[in-house]
Formats: sequence, structure tokens, C-alpha cells
Amino acid sequence: MNLIGYTCPYVPVELLSAAGFQPYCLLHGNYELMQKGTEYARIDACPMVRANIAYVLDHTERFAALVGTTGCDMSRRMFDVISEYADVPIFIVNVPRTDNPVMYSDEIDRLIKELSYLSGKDILTNITHEIIKWKTARIVLRGFDEKRAAAVSLVSTSDFHGPARSFYKGDINRVLTSRVAENESQRPHVFMIGSELSYESTNFLDLIEEDVRIVGDDVCGLSRSLHVNIKENTIDGIKRAYYEQPPCIYRRPNHEFHKFISAQLKERTCDGVIGFTLDYCDAYEFEMRTMEKVSGLPLLRIRTDYAAEKISQLRTRIAAFGEMLCSKT
Amino acid sequence: MIERRDILTSRERFGLLVIDERPDRCNIMPLVTSHASTVANMSVKDYYTSGMSMARAQLAALEAYRHDAISLFSEVGIIAEAMGSVFEYPDNDLPVLKIPALTKDSLSEIPIPDPCTAKRLPVYLEAIDFIYTAVGDRVPILAYVPAPFTTGMMLSDPNEFLIQTIKAPQSIHDIMEISLQAAITFCYHIINAGGLPVIVDPLASSSVVSPQCYKQFALPYERRLIDYLHRYDLDIILHICGETAPILDLLPATNADLISVDKVDLGLVVNKVSDRIRVVGNYNTSKIAFSSPQVINDDIRAMVAEGMRSPKGYIVATGCEVPIMTPMENIKAFITAAKETAWYWV
Amino acid sequence: MLEDIAPKKISLLEWSERFEKLTDDDIGRFTYYHNEEWGRYLQPPATFMVYGARQLKRLQFDNSLAALRMWGFVFNESERLFRARQCGKKIIATMGDLGTVPVIVMAFPGCTPFYPECIWWTPFFNESNVLLDTASELGAPEAACFSRAALGAFFKRAYFPVPDRIFASTGATCDDFTSTIQSIEHLGFDVTWFEVPFRRTYPDRIYDDAQFEAKFLKRTEDYLIKEYRRIWDIMAGLTGKENTDILIESIRKTNRLRALAREIMDETHNAETAPFPALELMTIEFGNLYGYADIDEWLSILENVRDTVQLRIERGTGIQPKNAVPIAWINPSADPFLLNFVEDLNLRVVDTEYVIRQALVQIDETAEPFRALARSFLHASLIGSTRQRIASILRAIDQGKIKGVLITNVLGGSHCAMETKLMERMIDSVPVLSLDVPPPPGITEQIKTRIEAFAEALHD
Repeated sequence: MNLIGYTCPYVPVELLSAAGFQPYCLLHGNYELMQKGTEYARIDACPMVRANIAYVLDHTERFAALVGTTGCDMSRRMFDVISEYADVPIFIVNVPRTDNPVMYSDEIDRLIKELSYLSGKDILTNITHEIIKWKTARIVLRGFDEKRAAAVSLVSTSDFHGPARSFYKGDINRVLTSRVAENESQRPHVFMIGSELSYESTNFLDLIEEDVRIVGDDVCGLSRSLHVNIKENTIDGIKRAYYEQPPCIYRRPNHEFHKFISAQLKERTCDGVIGFTLDYCDAYEFEMRTMEKVSGLPLLRIRTDYAAEKISQLRTRIAAFGEMLCSKT
Repeated sequence: MIERRDILTSRERFGLLVIDERPDRCNIMPLVTSHASTVANMSVKDYYTSGMSMARAQLAALEAYRHDAISLFSEVGIIAEAMGSVFEYPDNDLPVLKIPALTKDSLSEIPIPDPCTAKRLPVYLEAIDFIYTAVGDRVPILAYVPAPFTTGMMLSDPNEFLIQTIKAPQSIHDIMEISLQAAITFCYHIINAGGLPVIVDPLASSSVVSPQCYKQFALPYERRLIDYLHRYDLDIILHICGETAPILDLLPATNADLISVDKVDLGLVVNKVSDRIRVVGNYNTSKIAFSSPQVINDDIRAMVAEGMRSPKGYIVATGCEVPIMTPMENIKAFITAAKETAWYWV
Repeated sequence: MLEDIAPKKISLLEWSERFEKLTDDDIGRFTYYHNEEWGRYLQPPATFMVYGARQLKRLQFDNSLAALRMWGFVFNESERLFRARQCGKKIIATMGDLGTVPVIVMAFPGCTPFYPECIWWTPFFNESNVLLDTASELGAPEAACFSRAALGAFFKRAYFPVPDRIFASTGATCDDFTSTIQSIEHLGFDVTWFEVPFRRTYPDRIYDDAQFEAKFLKRTEDYLIKEYRRIWDIMAGLTGKENTDILIESIRKTNRLRALAREIMDETHNAETAPFPALELMTIEFGNLYGYADIDEWLSILENVRDTVQLRIERGTGIQPKNAVPIAWINPSADPFLLNFVEDLNLRVVDTEYVIRQALVQIDETAEPFRALARSFLHASLIGSTRQRIASILRAIDQGKIKGVLITNVLGGSHCAMETKLMERMIDSVPVLSLDVPPPPGITEQIKTRIEAFAEALHD
């Protein structure tokens, strides 16, 4: 029981870690788990939410607690479901969607209190150590990310996904010791936005990168959590860094999100965008049109529920997209 | 010029107009009535004797022209026929009055017809029902109903009728009363089928009767019919084809919400009444039948510019029914020109 | 005014026949905004059918004058909003929170609040996909709440005037709608967002610190108060009025509305035989949100309904047989026909959870007004857990008052997707039927068969 499950980049992993647990981001998503999850939520629930419910309920004994947020409605309600079936302590952080740093600060204070009760520790005592530890891990990942974003991309996102997975699973030692093979690519550069990417998605990334190179992303499960940059090694420093990370698509209004993505597209000299959505992921589904307009780049929408039967169709679409980008560049 | 893409459906557009709001552009409603049979490649007789055919023809016309209203109509004798006047049905023309009811029966013998069964009234109702199911959410379905004066004249020998307006005015009022009741009953059924009654009174125009005669015998019954429809809060178009300049000032007194005019200078109508009543009209129907598309295009642009000065709103229309054999490209030219120019929203 | 006949649900045609008996004076008696020129609203269903509300051809309505008033008034809302603008009122779109912000808006003279998302019924009343198709063209996914119709309506500007202000909630709300509003903002509309907080249940499991919890609850109220004050300030800026006494007045009026609706619902639900139909009651329940853009006239209509209901109860008459089986209904049905259909199967709706619990409670008139508003909103249906949401239905089941539960969902609706299976699990002692309301033209034969089977099981 050493894991503490969490779901959102607004949950400070340093705090979970300081309470003596391994922060484990719930990013499960394969077809079998998703199908199993339909026992607990309807077929039109987010495939990842369904898979996560199934994963947690299959591995209850591994989780000391779960920390959710209000970031996404289905994700928040996932804990409602889990609480009916398993006796795992659950904390929900009310992450504001509007600009409300006071509310976020209060919520983090509350989380600290809850974690202290849970662990029986004063989690403030080793917070500096935890901040440095996670910061180091982020620096390592950012290094890979820079190579990925180079003018001639040296690292594939598929390869980047390996250490990123370790990061989200809270296996910091593995992140720190990870190596990523350089793999130069002349393929068109694309940026990936969209729903969370599951641990089991490496093949999916491989498939995409047969025809294009993903040189950047704003996806939970890839580099979404790398933007947290804690400047003061204190609780206030954590709060500020997490609150001020590039806003999530759920932020209202979400103009800053679009600005951030536009800046990334320029910085990484992208030729196109891949908009990846899980079935029934409203936040991204609604925004694709705007994203296309704001970016001014060709956007390929990929929607999936992890079902394998869609792979060949997907391969064809990605190949066509790659060809189209090649002809443009 | 490139035709702009519509933002509203025809129904949304009409809905805004009648509550004094500016829609995206003007409604464009050439009076495509029996001409629809040409579009659908069916005989005119088939069109006015079968509800299903009338519906099919109107839907075909809508598909071809993409104008803003269905206009269900064949000719002004429809109520009179249901009350006993005898009409002949030529194969390729509109019904022709043969024996007016009052030349064989006395007024007391004339029934208020049941629109569900009497002569061709069910044709209208069946057509409305079918069209309502097909496009009723997007397009207003206008069903043209002869006003009491016009029906009264179709019940009588026309010459005798006009003489009686002077010699025996009470007898005319008696005919008006029963014609009004018949019109009300028909309208009631049209409403319950999903159609919006449009009141047509061509025989009350100044081409046929004097303004005094209009004021005495036509207007009061138009108003009562419209007042009845206003109980339902429906927005009513009064269409008087022919000459209307001498009675323009009287028209607001009918309580109509929109006035559809024919042979009158549109600028005059706009200047005189458009602050009180919405204006519909009024492209010359001979011109739409016989001019070239280019001429029609030029004319419509000028007409739209004039009509859109109406503060209460304007519908781009022909002055009367589009003649049956009008070339389709002429109507398309009318609609294209209007769709390019009649925009309120920038 | 109308012949006093036995309560019954009647068709559009029957209503037209009945309407013919009204005099012009009768029709002219009822107006909105007290305007006799264009404010009449006593029209039968046929009027609205002529203007495109196609479903009215097959719906059935209560045969009382009160119901006629109610439907005329409700169907007239679109025109009413345009007329409001024409006569100089400020039109304020209040979106998402379902019930509280209009209390603030209504405090300001000459300001009319409305809920654009309530247009989700329009595609069904019109049996038309016009609005939903427009929303799709603007990027809304097809598997999302029908409230996305609001996106189409904002784009078209033909269903309500461009609002003077738009207040929209986000936070612990369903994602479909917050995404819809965001898309509306992308169209160029200026939206003032405000945060609605999450209502907790989980901490009870870990520690017991009542003092801390009380403090936190107060903080939660404080967030809302801050948001409501911000809205107040914007409205004050818009109108030049600042005195909060007008807010207290507005709260009183809202309470009167809510009490009247509660009285009607309670009396109807508890009567031996149902005196008023479920579809009309749903319409009344949603009237609590904002009084359909003329709260004074709506109050008068509700008094008329209340009197009708009481008279029928006194006489022991109703619109259903006495042996109708009592059920609870969870989530409002976007398709009104469903309420007719269920009732025709002799099921009687006696309890509802239509996601607007916050609009049904009384607002404390003795507390500081903004805090009172915050407290009332914290009853909201969707900001807490599913168990909280259906607690009262579970109690009613335990008491034997409810014999079955019907849950109507929207495919892809974020809370429907997650809550329904949980509810089915929680409601384990009576039959539960959950179904997805399909897009227009509405419910299918297959769904009808499922409901019939459900009804049969309950009757057995």
C-alpha cells in the first residue's frame, strides 16, 4: 500500500511524496481495462476513466489513498464510483477553473492537512528534499524534450514516452537513470494536443510517428506536467508553481491555453497539429475547431476508444496527413 | 457578386420579421403557387386536385429555388366551389367558374362547407399536412385563403354582384357574412394542420372595384377575418393583386400585419404605409415570365433597395402569382439577385 | 371563462376547439409586461405549431385555463425576450448555475434574466435538428448534452436577442455545458465566468475535525459570495443601482415563486389522484429558474395553477386513474413527449431530480443576502456526489412512496455517463429503468417498448 493515486497536473506530487507515498498518476487505458470499466460506468464515459476505475478496483491493496480534482467532470465523478466499491481514502482538490489563486491555495492547505492525517507525518519537514527530487526529474525530461523539439528532431515522442511514464508512475529513480536513444527524423513536425495519453499508448505513438514526428505536446501523460517550475522550495512555492503552470484547456476562459499552444507551435516550428481525443472527451472535442483556427495549421483529429480494429484506418489517415504536410513543406 | 450563405432558416427569418426584428436578410417569397406544377413536371389539374401532388410540387419548387416560403394556392374560387359554385377543371389550366352558386340556389341554401370534405378544400389540408411533416420546422407554410369579398363574387354572377353593391348593399353584406364564416372555418382547419393563412382579395382591388366599394364591402370583412386570426396571435399577410394605389391609405385599417401589393409603385407603398405595416412585393409578373434573367437581376436589385427602406420590414416577392409557364431560370435569377442584395446583417 | 370540465389531457385539436369558446376579452386579459399591443400570450398550442413547434401535434396538454395560460406564456418566451429588448429592458443571459444568478439580476429594475440552455427543449418541440446541426457545424460533438443547442442559438441570433451581459458558471459543473459556453465565447460573445465550488463528502472518511470543516464550509460560501458580489457590481455598473435592499426584495419574490411551485408540486404529488400532468409540472419546476423572463406574470399563472390543482383535489378528480404507480424521475427529459408517454402507461411521477435542486429551496431572508444566496446554491444537484443527489429519492423509496425510478440520460453527457450505473446500484429495492433520450424526432419504438415493459413490471 505505498501508492497514492492522482489524476491531474494540478495535484502537487511533491506533497504526496512528502507524505511517504509514491504518487501514481491514474493514466490507464487499454481496451480490456476499458471494457471492464463498463461494469461501473456507462459506455459513454471517458475510456480512460473507465479503465482507471477498473485498474484501481483490481489493485485496491496497492493504494493508500486517491487524490482527484474537479478538473474534469467525469474524472471527478470517477471517485464517486470508486468510493462505492472500495474503501480507499479519497481526497478531492477543488481546482478552480477561473482565475482564483486563493481557492487553489486553500485547497492545497486542505490537502496537506488530509495527507498529514493519512500518513501521520508532518509532511513539511522533508518538503525541500521532495521539491528538489521532482525538479531534477523534470529537468531530465525537459532535456529529452529539447532534443525532441530540435530543428532536426533527435528524439521521438514514442521514446520520450518511456521516461515520461516513469515520471507519472512516481518512479523517479528510473527517470533519473533513463536513457533515450537518438533517432533523427526529417519527417514533418507536428504538435500533439488533446486528451490524456495512457501508459499503454506507446504503440499508438509509434503508429503516428511512422509518418510524422511529434516534436511537442500538451498532453497529460507526456509533457503536460513538465511546465511546473518551483522557484522557492516552500509550500507557497509549490502552490505558485502549480497554479501558474500553463493553463489547462478547462480554464475559463481558455484564451491563455490557446495562446500557449500557439507559442509552442511557433517555437517548435510545427507543420501540423494532431488533435487526439478519447471518446466523449468534451473539453477537447469542442475545442478542435478553435484550435485549428488559432493555430492556422492543418489539424488531424484522431478519436479513439483504444479499440484495435480502428488501427488500419488510423494508419491510412496519418499517412495521408503526413503526405499532405510533406507537400506543403 | 457571390451569394452569401444564409444564417437563418426561412422560418427563423420570418419569425424575426413579424416581431419587428431584422433577420439576416429579407425573406424572399416569390408567389410560386401553381407554377410549382411546372417544376414538378405534372399537369396543373393534378396539382390542384390532389393534396399529395400539390405537396410534391411545392416541395420540388422549394428544392429548385430555395425560396423562403411554401405558397399553397391554385385559384380564388376554392371556397366558393365548396359552397356550391361549379367549376370546370381544364387539364392544363386552372379551374374556371361555370355556374356561380347564387345563380342556382338562394343564399339560405348555401352551406358553410366542411373543409375536411367539401370539394377541393381537403386538397389544401392534405398538402399542408404532408409539407408540414417534411419541412415544417424550417419553412413557413402559407396557405392562401380567398377573402369574403372575393369569395362572394365567385358565388355570384360578377356583374350582378357589382350592381348589387349599389342597388342592394344589404344583400351583399349577407353574402359577405356567410363567406366570412366559410373563410373562418377554412382558416381554422388550416391552422390546425400547420399552415399560416394568407388572405387574398384580388377582386377587391382598385382594378375591379372603387375605393368606396372596397371600404364598404371588402375591408370590414377582411378585418374581421384578420381579427379572428389575431385571436391566435398569427401574423397575417393580406394580398391584394391588381391596382391598390387608391386604397393604400385604407390598408392599415384591415389590421393586417403584412400587406402584399402588386400593381403599385413600391416607393409609394414604402412612403405611405411601411411605418405601420410590413410590405411584401411586388415584381411585375409579366416581367418575370417574359424578361431575360439579366433584366430580372437588374430589376430585383433596384426593387430590393427600395423595399428595404421599409421601417417595419420587407419581403421580396412578386406582385402576384408567378405565371405557370415562367422559365425556371427567370425565377432563379429573381432569387439569386435578392439573395445577393437583400441583407440586413453585415 | 372556460367551461368547467373534468380534468383531462387533451390534444392540440381539442385545445383549439376549446379555445374557440373564449371571447376576445378573455384572450386580451392576459399580457406579459402589461403590454396590450404585443404582450398577449393566451394562445392555444396550434399557434405555436403553426410557427414550427411540430411536436405539439402529438403532445397532450392539461385542459385547464391555467395550463393554457402556462403553455402560451412559456412558448412565447422567445418573442418576449425580443420585446423586452425593444422596450428598453436589459437582457441578461445567466448560464449554467441554474437558479441563483437570476435572483441578483432580477433585483435590478428593467433587467430580464434568461437561461439560453433551456433552449435544449426547442429541437424536440420543433422536431428539428436545425439548432443541433448548427452547433455541430460550429464544432460541438454529437455525443454531448442537447444543451449544445444554445451554441446554435447564439450563432443564429433568432431565438433571443444578443444579451447585454452573459454570466456563466464553471467549476464543479458538467463538462458539456461549460464547453458549450466556451464555444459561445469563441464566437465573440463576452462571457463573465464565475466559479461554482465542489461540495464535499469524502473527508468524513479520514478525520473528524468539525471546526476545520465548518471553517472550510464558510470558505466555500465565501468563494461564492465573492463571485456573486462581482456579478452584483457588474449589474450595478450596467444599471447605476447599488442599494442591496433591492436584492432582499428580489430574494423575497424568488422565495414566493419557489414556495408556490413547491406547494403545487407537493399537493400534486401527494394527492390521491394526480390533479396535474407531469409535463406541466416539469415546466413549472423549471420556471423556478427565472420565471420565464417575466416573474410577475409567471407568479400569477402559478396562482392560477395552484387554485386549479386545489379545486381538483377538493373534488377528488385528476388526470390519471387512482391506481397509477408512483415513480421518481431523475434528469429532465429533453423530449417532452416522454412525459406524456410514461403517464399514458399509468405511471405517475411523484418525485423528481431534474438537476435544479438549488432552485427549489428557500433562500434565507434573515441572513446577509449574498451569504443566503451562496447557501441556497450549495444545495445544487450537480456539485456534489451522486449519493447526495438522490438521497431524498432513496428515503422516499424506503418509505414506500416510490415504486420505480426512471432515469433519462443524454448520450455523452458527462454526469449521465458517470452517475447512472451508480444510481442503479444505489437504488436496489425498486425497479430502475435508465434510457438515453435520442435526438429529434425523439423517442423510438424500441424505447417505447422498454418503457412499456418497465410499466408492466411495475403494474405486476
